[in-house]
Amino acid sequence: MSGERSLEGWAPGAGDEMPLAEVIDLAFDYRGDVTVVLTDGRDLIGYVYNRDRDVTEPYLQLVDPTGTSHTLRYTEVRTIQFTGRDTAAGTSYEAWLRRKTEARPA
Amino acid sequence: MSVPLSQIWTVASYVIGQKLKGRPRYPLVLMLEPLFRCNLACAGCGKIQYPAHILRRHLSVEQCLRAVDECGAPMVSIPGGEPLMYPEIGPLVRELVKRKKYVYLCTNAILLGQRLQEGVFEPSKYLSFSIHLDGLGPEHDEAVCRDGVYEEARVAIGDALRRGFRVTTNTTLFDGADPARVRQFFDAMMDLGVEGMMVSPGYSYAKAPDQEHFLRRQRAHALFSAILERPRWRWRFNQSPLFLRFLMGKLDFECTPWGNPTYNLFGWQRPCYLLQEGYAASFRELMETTRWERYGRRSGNPKCRDCMVHCGHEPTAVDYTFGSWRGFRQAVVAAVTGRL
Repeated sequence: MSGERSLEGWAPGAGDEMPLAEVIDLAFDYRGDVTVVLTDGRDLIGYVYNRDRDVTEPYLQLVDPTGTSHTLRYTEVRTIQFTGRDTAAGTSYEAWLRRKTEARPA
Repeated sequence: MSVPLSQIWTVASYVIGQKLKGRPRYPLVLMLEPLFRCNLACAGCGKIQYPAHILRRHLSVEQCLRAVDECGAPMVSIPGGEPLMYPEIGPLVRELVKRKKYVYLCTNAILLGQRLQEGVFEPSKYLSFSIHLDGLGPEHDEAVCRDGVYEEARVAIGDALRRGFRVTTNTTLFDGADPARVRQFFDAMMDLGVEGMMVSPGYSYAKAPDQEHFLRRQRAHALFSAILERPRWRWRFNQSPLFLRFLMGKLDFECTPWGNPTYNLFGWQRPCYLLQEGYAASFRELMETTRWERYGRRSGNPKCRDCMVHCGHEPTAVDYTFGSWRGFRQAVVAAVTGRL
């Protein structure tokens, strides 16, 4: 993700400009845990590993830290917050080269 | 070419069988990822960036075998993650060999010596260790972002060969690769005694940290032509000669994204080993509900535009070889003469 801004810490509110389906797409691409805020007021923390918006009832699938998988219809989701660490950020090739150079004896 | 005759026969009869059954889409190699955990963090890899609770998990042997049976492909490649970190790797490989699947265990070889010492594996014509090596020492260590890994792999290869195992190498080449150094690397692998080599251009994973060193199509053709134009007689490749000609720009192949279907912790990955656009719960669902027309260079999908990776294009080469007299003749000529 070098050169890209991480979504880590982003917490879009319900009704923000971005449609929920797009927020879910971003959560699906995100390589960290998220907090799914449900319409019934509950929160669910985990990794979004799947979503399908091309079906009659679009859904997402999330695995929580205990390994339990949850399937949620888009209509059950109020918003998603990017609360977990972005594991694809901050590990650039350039950073490795820099560390390697710094580690070499002068 | 160095693919054993029994394996060629198995693949040929399988492909011809699929043609006779009139199946327009069939899998050739199952990419089975029992875990995402790895003991390296290579800059070009987009496979291991997950939260810790995902990295801690792995498939059970039963889940793996169910996927193998469901898919039916004659070959199973076990990448990852690092498969030698999978605690059930021994039992899994034993079951696959029992099923007469040709297994390519793709490993960085850091743990190979230890696993061989522990007696986890037994030599078989069905099992090949496919060692990830992206070049000679300096190039490989740089690609995997850790010094000394090439040397560890070299020692482990020697150990595996002495114990009677089949050993191949798999090499991903990135922009900036020096053709002369790659040719030296091929010589070094032949000196080591590996059965054959596999080579492919890298794919620009959206999640891979290093986005600047992936090959675009024209540069890939130029690089592979420079490497393979006058192949040495002693080089042996464990892949289709027609795929190598494709890399050189001498043949034009479209991607076969269903050729190497991928199964992992999340299910059957859509649409291919490289792109991760969703998951299906069953192999049948993957094949029947994936919108295949959205993928491949001719689809216009920008993610596919420059991809020339073997997992999508080698199945096309194999289908062309055993699906047409022209392809068969070209493959035989290349294999017999050694000219690409």
